[in-house]
Amino acid sequence: MTQVKAWAGYLLPKLGQFLFVVVATYTLVFVLVHFLPGDPLIAALAAKGGASTVIDPAELDALRVQYGLDGTLWQQYFGHLIAAAQGDLGVSISTGVPVTEMIARAFPFSVQIASLALLFGVTSAVLITFLAYAAPWPWLRQLLLQIPPFGIAVPAFLSGLLLISVFAFALGWLPSAGARSFDAAILPAITLALPVGALFFQVFSSAVLEAQNSPYVFTAVAKGVPPRRIFTKHLLRNAMLPSITILGLLIGYLAGGTAVVETVFSRDGIGRMTVNAVLARDINVIQGVVLVVGAIYALVNLLVDVAYGFIDPRTRIGGGVPSRARLGAKK
Amino acid sequence: MIEQKTFGDDTAADDNILVVRDLHVSYATRSGSVAAVRGISFVVPRGKIVAIVGESGSGKSTTSQALIRRLASGGSIDSGSIEFEGRNLGPMSERELRSIRGGRIGFVPQDPSKSLNPLMRVGDQIAEALRLHLKLDKTAAAAEAVRILAEVGLPDPDARATQFPHELSGGMRQRVLIGIAWACNPQLVIADEPTSALDVTVQRHVLDNIDELVRRHNTSVVLVTHDLAVAADRADYVAVMSNGEIVEQGTTAQVLSAPTHEYTKKLVESAPGLASRRLTPSLTALGEQQQSSAGRLFTHTRPAQPAGSATASGAVPAHSGADAAGATNILEVSNLVKTFALRRQGGGSQVLRAVDDVSFVVPRGSTFSIVGESGSGKTTTARIAARIASADSGTVSFDGTDVTSLSGEALRQLRRRVQVVYQNPFGSLDPKMSIERIIAEPLRAFRVGDRTHRAEMARELLEHVSLSPSLAQRRPTELSGGQRQRVAIARSLAIGPELIVLDEPVSALDVSVQEQILQLLVDLQVQFGLSYLFISHDLGVIRQISDHIAVMRSGKVLEAGTAHDVMSNPQHEYTRELLEAIPGQRAV
Amino acid sequence: MTNLRKPGFVLGLIIIALAIVASLAPQLLATHDPFESVATDRLLPPSAQYLFGTDNLGRDLYSRVIYGAALSLLSASLAVVVGVVVGAVVGLISGFVGGRTDFIIMRFVDVLIAVPGVLLALIVVASLGFGPVSLALGVGLGAAGSFARVMRSQVLRIRSEEYVEAARTLGVRSPAILVQHVLPNAARPVIAMAALEMGTAILSVSALTFLGFGAPPPAPEWGALVAAGRDYVATNPGLSIIPGAVILVVVLAVNRVARSIGGDE
Repeated sequence: MTQVKAWAGYLLPKLGQFLFVVVATYTLVFVLVHFLPGDPLIAALAAKGGASTVIDPAELDALRVQYGLDGTLWQQYFGHLIAAAQGDLGVSISTGVPVTEMIARAFPFSVQIASLALLFGVTSAVLITFLAYAAPWPWLRQLLLQIPPFGIAVPAFLSGLLLISVFAFALGWLPSAGARSFDAAILPAITLALPVGALFFQVFSSAVLEAQNSPYVFTAVAKGVPPRRIFTKHLLRNAMLPSITILGLLIGYLAGGTAVVETVFSRDGIGRMTVNAVLARDINVIQGVVLVVGAIYALVNLLVDVAYGFIDPRTRIGGGVPSRARLGAKK
Repeated sequence: MIEQKTFGDDTAADDNILVVRDLHVSYATRSGSVAAVRGISFVVPRGKIVAIVGESGSGKSTTSQALIRRLASGGSIDSGSIEFEGRNLGPMSERELRSIRGGRIGFVPQDPSKSLNPLMRVGDQIAEALRLHLKLDKTAAAAEAVRILAEVGLPDPDARATQFPHELSGGMRQRVLIGIAWACNPQLVIADEPTSALDVTVQRHVLDNIDELVRRHNTSVVLVTHDLAVAADRADYVAVMSNGEIVEQGTTAQVLSAPTHEYTKKLVESAPGLASRRLTPSLTALGEQQQSSAGRLFTHTRPAQPAGSATASGAVPAHSGADAAGATNILEVSNLVKTFALRRQGGGSQVLRAVDDVSFVVPRGSTFSIVGESGSGKTTTARIAARIASADSGTVSFDGTDVTSLSGEALRQLRRRVQVVYQNPFGSLDPKMSIERIIAEPLRAFRVGDRTHRAEMARELLEHVSLSPSLAQRRPTELSGGQRQRVAIARSLAIGPELIVLDEPVSALDVSVQEQILQLLVDLQVQFGLSYLFISHDLGVIRQISDHIAVMRSGKVLEAGTAHDVMSNPQHEYTRELLEAIPGQRAV
Repeated sequence: MTNLRKPGFVLGLIIIALAIVASLAPQLLATHDPFESVATDRLLPPSAQYLFGTDNLGRDLYSRVIYGAALSLLSASLAVVVGVVVGAVVGLISGFVGGRTDFIIMRFVDVLIAVPGVLLALIVVASLGFGPVSLALGVGLGAAGSFARVMRSQVLRIRSEEYVEAARTLGVRSPAILVQHVLPNAARPVIAMAALEMGTAILSVSALTFLGFGAPPPAPEWGALVAAGRDYVATNPGLSIIPGAVILVVVLAVNRVARSIGGDE
């Protein structure tokens, strides 16, 4: 009974935070779209039909109703919010298809490469860190530690094009485009994994380094524990704690990265859909995508928070004060 | 290198479990190699405790780490040998070393709060050593770990074994670490400052526990400590280190009763636990007091005070009590209460009474000390008295005026008369400022003098705290801990306060520096007629400076009185316990 | 400066200096007119005459890259200025004032961070129209959130330092504490982060120009050069890979110098 209460006391505020971020994201986008200069509908119609498009005012009003851009700003704000809560994100101005449907269609493709990229990125970051940790020679360690800064600096379109010219055109091992087969997901996933892995590495390796110099590792060495066991039993979990807090940040990176990667590899997906929507200045689609991505980000952070409660006994429910300093947010 | 006479020479060679010969250790830094240990030799006889005593930077911790060949990064053993049971550890492979570390040489590290893996149950952390060296299986290791926890004196060891380090107190964690060190019944245990992070009463119990394990298992121990008194109580032999060398070694009685080396003599004299007494003002300070017309620093900088204050009053020598110009008591604190809400398991909250109905008075020109262990509420009390924190209820009155609820500009003006010196001289000085700017900061805040005038005053203040004015343009990072604390004291004097709250002002400093700072405080008190509210956990230090003492525990004042009464005729059980726990009472 | 003895740092400085010269006075470095087509010299490989080769219209790729520096680097710089100024001011206020103000400001910052930077930039671009300035505003807005967080955590860290409390007990007023203690001690990490952000901003701006949201075609923005060369990646990979590599080298140089400022090594 007290356990249930403890969980409720722990989860409810976090759920509230989740809802707040989603609503606030929606608000932010709404404000940006409606308060930046220019009429979104006219801009979209101009993009569709060319700059010289002339529209009859009555027709414009009808279109406004059709795309949900009629009424006062307050009506629009709450109308869209309530509709969004029911899963209705409006209709695309450029294609006329419901936004929810468009996102649902494109989503699996993006999730496929994003999750693969996360897997590749995190695994190789942990691997490189371990190799650097276990490297018998300092020069090898230095060399290994030079890889990730490179991953951060390389533009995704460059790495993507390089992978295409080597593995698709020169060697012919993997397809250069498309989204139909699993093969086609490998190159885009590697492209995305580079910055994601490098970001994860930055946090993870410095956490390992810090843990490595910590007194409890000294205790383990003085106990006679061999290096590999020190890494797996003592360093890994301690270093994972600060590292998983950036998972949310990585999701953001992935969402932004898919825009470039899906364009380079001519793949269907959320990113490419967004790019096309921006080119067509299709405000409804952009709004929908940002809302969905913001919700995923908030959800991941919620899960990270809960996971933290499991991994770290100091924050475990019923085992003390549940709290953690979000990376960089609090002292 | 001249072969030093080591204290093991009189015993048969094979009776020494550890023989260290001419050991040199250095660290590679950006500016080249720095020697940390410079040719030390000593032996550890079987079943004996050998203490290595030294101040920070003496190389004692480096020595302890070198004994298991695990130095901090950049460290290397340049020459010399470490023979453990007749075998030199120097050329051994890492694999061989691993079987010795934890198996035959145990290590008790310094900081119990950070030396256990926070994500691993303490039972498992002991079992890890058992499984590695004794090849016990999982259940046997777990059972043995519980037995070890019982042996090191943890109550309810079954339950404790399944707990995480954060659920244990500092003393309990240190016992767990001792359990790990002794888990595989090693021949030798190296204990690096095993109790310096603990309260005195806990320290005593933990050291007793080590004594018992040594007797029962006939273990040899290398006890590394900064505290000569601890060495005096516990060790059979003492080696005194300074600047990477052993300057003197011999049996404990020999070294302490008849030290031959200059450094050892100084150390023995200044160790507060061993022979402390109330410090008296030095002759020069008394002389300066007579010369100084008003007895106050920079009287001209002080604005007219409200009636009843101490403007331009004569200096009051310590112990003299009242000052005709002001109230008899510079500070009166009554019925202070301060509570903190602690969030507890299951979301509920519990109220911690950090300060619980505390009252005391500080007579003008004297030193009033509060002594207590961690969590006693002494620092919170001092912060409320200095009006840094505020109390839930109760009053603070300064020089006869109620200042409990001062705020804004009125509170700022109170700072002219009440100043604070903090414990950590590394944290309390802004690293980006020059010493001159640091000292002149209060003058600038109260718009005293112009720039050149303030610089001149800063230099004068440096001389008052016995620092060379040539340090004025340095940054705090270029100064030693003792020098920094002198700077902090100079800064607190700048604006000419009447009361200085000293929150553990010497506990971050080496013993020999501690006494110099205490002497400086005593001299300044006479020179400038200051009153002190002094906070410390260390009764040895308290004894050197106090006129009145209050003993606190769990937010309450248990006992208060003149320094002499409290120290020589304690009324409360806890005070007696504290006094008995002061190390340095057994030997000599 | 001990930094000047490190070859990586010096090389980074040289590359940054070249990039700055290219942005301010491209004619000093360029060998050709970046817009002039030579019909007979289409899709040539790199040579002494055309250092990076020529594009499908016979324009000198090297000169186009040099002339592109101005557009690409200036919008990245503008983005960093927007991000740093907005973020630092918000973070400073939030951290120093504390209490309820801090809580409210930080919830807004949470939202700015919840929306990925690229998407935020896309919204701004979609609303304001395409072009280097709206790109810079979008990228800058995307960076402002994390800047505010870093600035605030610095302020909080410094505010809890004992020397700040000491200053208060010495009678120093709040504004003086802010100017004399908090700002000098927060400066270095914030400058280092701004320098790192420059690298990120170059990447974001070039990604957005690659997607076609920058200045309209013949403008030789770096990302747009890569995009234009994409169609020839099977036959003439250098056309897109060389400008991409230039971006990589500049970003590496900026990041290397930024890390040295931050005292990372």
